[in-house]
Amino acid sequence: MVWFILIMAGMLICAAMAVVARRLLVSAIWLAIASALLALLIYLLGAPELAVIELSVGAGLVTVLFVFAISIAGEESNMQQSLLPKWLAGIVVLVSIGLTGWLCLPDLGFNMPQLVPTRLSTVLWELRGADVILQVILIFAGVLGVLGLLSDEQSTVPKERDA
Amino acid sequence: MTLSLVSLVFIAVIGLLAIGLYALLVVRHLIKVVVALQILAKGAILGFILAGRINGQIGLGESLALTIIIVDTIVAVIGLSLAVQIRHHMGTLDVNALTRLRR
Amino acid sequence: MANFLILLILGLPWLGALLVWWVSDKRSKAQTVLAVLFSVLAGAASLMLIPFASESVALNIPLGGAFGDFTFVADGLGVYLAVIATIIGSLAVIFSVDYMRGEAQLGRYYALVLFFIGGMAGLVLTSNLLLMFVFWEITALCSYALISFHSDDPKAVYGGIKALIVTQFGGIGLLAGALLIYSYSDNYDLQAFIANPQILPPSVLAVAAFGFLVAAAAKSAQFPFQTWLPDAMEAPTPISALIHAATMVNAGVYLLARFYPAFENVPGWREAVVVVGVVTALMAALMALVSNDLKRVLAYSTVSQLGYMVYAIGAGGVFASQFHLMSHSVFKALLFLAAGAVIHSVGTRDMRQMGGLGVQMPLVRTVFAIGALALAGIPILNGFWSKELILEAGYTHGPLWAWIVMVVCAGLTALYTFRCFWLVFAGKPRSSLNGHDAGTAMKVALIPLAVGAFLTELLAGPFAHLMKSTVPSIEIEAETTLLVLGEVVTTPLTLVVLAVVALGLAAWWWREKLAGLSSALAEVGRAAADSFGFEVVNRGIVIGTNWLAEKLRHTQTGLLNWNILGIAAGFLLVLIILVIGG
Repeated sequence: MVWFILIMAGMLICAAMAVVARRLLVSAIWLAIASALLALLIYLLGAPELAVIELSVGAGLVTVLFVFAISIAGEESNMQQSLLPKWLAGIVVLVSIGLTGWLCLPDLGFNMPQLVPTRLSTVLWELRGADVILQVILIFAGVLGVLGLLSDEQSTVPKERDA
Repeated sequence: MTLSLVSLVFIAVIGLLAIGLYALLVVRHLIKVVVALQILAKGAILGFILAGRINGQIGLGESLALTIIIVDTIVAVIGLSLAVQIRHHMGTLDVNALTRLRR
Repeated sequence: MANFLILLILGLPWLGALLVWWVSDKRSKAQTVLAVLFSVLAGAASLMLIPFASESVALNIPLGGAFGDFTFVADGLGVYLAVIATIIGSLAVIFSVDYMRGEAQLGRYYALVLFFIGGMAGLVLTSNLLLMFVFWEITALCSYALISFHSDDPKAVYGGIKALIVTQFGGIGLLAGALLIYSYSDNYDLQAFIANPQILPPSVLAVAAFGFLVAAAAKSAQFPFQTWLPDAMEAPTPISALIHAATMVNAGVYLLARFYPAFENVPGWREAVVVVGVVTALMAALMALVSNDLKRVLAYSTVSQLGYMVYAIGAGGVFASQFHLMSHSVFKALLFLAAGAVIHSVGTRDMRQMGGLGVQMPLVRTVFAIGALALAGIPILNGFWSKELILEAGYTHGPLWAWIVMVVCAGLTALYTFRCFWLVFAGKPRSSLNGHDAGTAMKVALIPLAVGAFLTELLAGPFAHLMKSTVPSIEIEAETTLLVLGEVVTTPLTLVVLAVVALGLAAWWWREKLAGLSSALAEVGRAAADSFGFEVVNRGIVIGTNWLAEKLRHTQTGLLNWNILGIAAGFLLVLIILVIGG
């Protein structure tokens, strides 16, 4: 139990630090640590396969992407002043998210039921087959999107527009 | 009142969502916006896992969480490549200055 | 089998639309072939659906709860309208092969037409209220896009926007009614509601009934929304034939017919429907009489005939109105396509510059004459039978003053139809216009319609039987065709109406002699040319909407933080409503 509290507190603190950090690279590192702690939490909650996926994708792939992007796009130092007053943002967030939580709390129940070991692959293929197909389509679309975005330099002739 | 494990994890979910939303309201750098979206997504993932665990259908919760992971990874990829291109063409990554669609 | 056919009827035009767009304008010949092919296939599929019509749900796409199931029912009312939509759609597409030859961006045109055909067929075949609203909006969107097809012509753009705004304004009535029905009956199923309208308390039912009436009036260009249809004549003529004569404007009449059993007991609703129909028919007939633009005359004539159909529904003759809908679709499409052939060859729409074109365009003159005779209600042709049925229903079940006005309108119809035909095809040419007869594709489209104008009344018996067996909520006395037609011929009322029609025809023939009378009525003529002041109403709606849109544009700042704040604030609002509502 104590471990749980520590991990969760650590995760929340890392997320908060990621938001307030001044340098982008530091922000990305904090995000990576938060991902790792989240993966640990997921493992402790009884979903080992997803924990592995979250660790490799969240703490690995996304962090590498961030480092690449930050090194190419660079930092900008003049953006510490936010458009909205911070207290306004804080109040809106507190009220809306707090209200959501307060509304959901009675339905939660207080017992963590016994874990029924299931294999993710079984559920994924049999019950959520449509999800898998959609994920493949999504990844395909993402690849096309990135190709379209990053090849913008080469094409100087505007593409012929369809009717 | 002794907090049960369920409520604790639920507070963590709420906390992540709140941090992500606050960040979206406050940050101005496009890459930081992507960071904020990632935090929101982590809250959602944890929420799905928790829901699956409570209902006894951990496999279903995992599948839905997997979808969220894939979606938010793709968002991060496209968002970051967008950031690179915008930096190249417009020179700034301040979201409040990027209000026009054309150059 | 029925479910497969319904999928074909909806899917084929939409698939065709996708393929036409994908093939791209570089291969416009392939686009044309694809468009014709898919529309004809859809027409064939809908014809094959007729034997399978039944009142039970034919196609059910379960969506797991939130929006109900997407159900499609192939009952008599829907099947016949689907047949009309797809067949006249395919004929309009065939006609477009000649009419739009050489135009740019044909892909956009054909894709939109096909998309529309699928949407219209879906509108009449579905039994889910939400889906009906979605298809309603699809047809409105396609109508707007096609009216403004020549987007560099400001009149076309204005006509399209006006049509869109006015019909959408009425669509609010449909949405309000549908949401009310859903909130009381907890599902979106049409048939459940129609079988049991008492679910809604009387005041709410009245609101839903009048909301639907407003939506139908706006869509079918009835009073007070009738001015968008003439302005929509900027569309290419096959579009006017398909959308604004044969299919989309019938959606309003279909809505009234479908929901008649649910709303017929709402106090004042039937009277309101009768008044709307009668006033529209009279006003539109007068406006057609004084108009000089060929397509506008036909547009006003459409509005007037739709007024007849609405009047029939108000008087309780649902079958008569749907039967007239069928005949009207055929002969009005025929008239519009023939007018399109004329306009395409001489290049103008002003009737004052035409005249004597019958010599140069014999086939077009013949088919236009057939259509005109049907419109005027001359015996043998289908318009006569259906109009008589309506007037009979109106005499037995409706108020007498309304019947008298409608009979006068029948005379006016004959008058303006004959005037139109005379000004265009007969007499001496008023200016040197070179007309050539219709091309092959146009002929292929025109001739079946002309034949249909003679024959569709033979479908009266089967149609009535189909409706009786598959739409149990509407009371229909179904008899064989022979009985129905025989009844029409033998009632003395028919003779009264024929006399008035003959009077109308004669009035044009002796127009010099009646010159004194016409100058006395010149005031009425001037008011008619101004649409009796209702143009102000419609233009006001358009201007108001544009002003509101301009004002609301300032909330679109484009700043991320403000937008997120807006989202969060909206979320908060929903939560507060949930908390308060318990």
